[in-house]
Amino acid sequence: MKQLKILAVDDDPFTLKMLEKKLGKEGYDIETASDGIKAIKLIPEKFYNIIITDLVMPGGVDGMDVLNEAKNKNKQTEVILLTAHASVENAVEAMRRGASDYLKKPINFYELILRIEKIKNYKKLLKNAQDLREAMDVTEQNASQTIQQLEMSVAELQNVVSEIRQVIITHSIDPNKCVNRVLDIVSSF
Amino acid sequence: MNESKAYLVKARLSDLIKEYKCSSYRELCIKAKTSPNKTIENRIIDAISTNETLFFRDTGPFEVLQHKILPDLIDRRTERSSGILPIPIRIWSAACSTGQEVYSIAIVLKELLPDLKKYNVKLLGTDISDSAIGQASYGTYNKFEIERGLSKDKLQKYFVPNGGNWRICDEIRTMVSFSKRNILKPLMGLGKLDIIFCRNVAIYFNLEDRIKLFENIAGILEPDGYLIVGSTESLTGICNIFEPKKYLRTIYYQLR
Repeated sequence: MKQLKILAVDDDPFTLKMLEKKLGKEGYDIETASDGIKAIKLIPEKFYNIIITDLVMPGGVDGMDVLNEAKNKNKQTEVILLTAHASVENAVEAMRRGASDYLKKPINFYELILRIEKIKNYKKLLKNAQDLREAMDVTEQNASQTIQQLEMSVAELQNVVSEIRQVIITHSIDPNKCVNRVLDIVSSF
Repeated sequence: MNESKAYLVKARLSDLIKEYKCSSYRELCIKAKTSPNKTIENRIIDAISTNETLFFRDTGPFEVLQHKILPDLIDRRTERSSGILPIPIRIWSAACSTGQEVYSIAIVLKELLPDLKKYNVKLLGTDISDSAIGQASYGTYNKFEIERGLSKDKLQKYFVPNGGNWRICDEIRTMVSFSKRNILKPLMGLGKLDIIFCRNVAIYFNLEDRIKLFENIAGILEPDGYLIVGSTESLTGICNIFEPKKYLRTIYYQLR
């Protein structure tokens, strides 16, 4: 999988700086927004694999709004919420609305990176499953055409054989008539 | 079980073997059989069964059902009926897994027959897995399950949002009944059926079991009934009692 594109959103400059530094060091392609308003301006412009956003932010656009905006734009974007201890309930509500995870502040970066990697693996598996499914669909379509053609041909041949069998039973006294009738059946097939 | 699938079973059961501290598959099997409850047996079934299914999987069978099988069947049944009793239509989905196929059939019936009261519809879904039957009966699907095969229009019409999931609406749900059944055992108690869906099940069986299954199916199908198998399945060399017929691009079977 290509490098993950991550957007970090927090009104606390220290947290934001730390996110940028630590995740950048891990090799992720990281961008930052210093509040929710800036974030929802960035979201429509490009695709982010993961958005990490603080839940409570000033200015009328909070983490929940960022989550909604991200999911509206592209359901493939995964959102991790950062929350102070007091707002865990809100974070749970956010997960009901489609956030993939939440972390309590202060951020344990080791934990955050584990969660990001988990999302990455999950996405990879999902992609694999989709690829396999597509491959299976194509194979199945081709196979079913062939099998159904064969199935119908065999049934037709069986009918011809039983018709011939019938002729042989009924005309067995007159071999010429029998052969001619059989030839008729075979040539009309 | 087909020989080529044996490795699959082994791989899928290895965790259970460890968990129940068994030294072999045989020991696990004996433990399952002698255990007072069905926990191990059910877990084995879940581990080895493939629940791959989706709504309107291959559109072909549902087109045939809607445009050929049901209209023809209803015509014949109407001719025969006294006009007093509702016309019976009995359909069985033989390995319904989590219910997508049988609900798809119910949706086709609902769309084709606006006046369902005129008919005595019996729509039965069975599966060997308790947990699959449980989910089917509950009728709730997550967004991945729902997005596959189902049009937006049908989703809006026949499902209601349920938490982050979707639940089949009561009207469709009540058309279907579910029960657990091993289709390799005698098919007693099902009564006679007009239409049987047995798709992508027999592919996992060996030849002997396939023959047995389709012979049993022939035994419970009405003389003018219909059988639909998976799109890559063939009954050639398995069961000569059935004759393949083609409608549009899909094959269905009737008794010869």
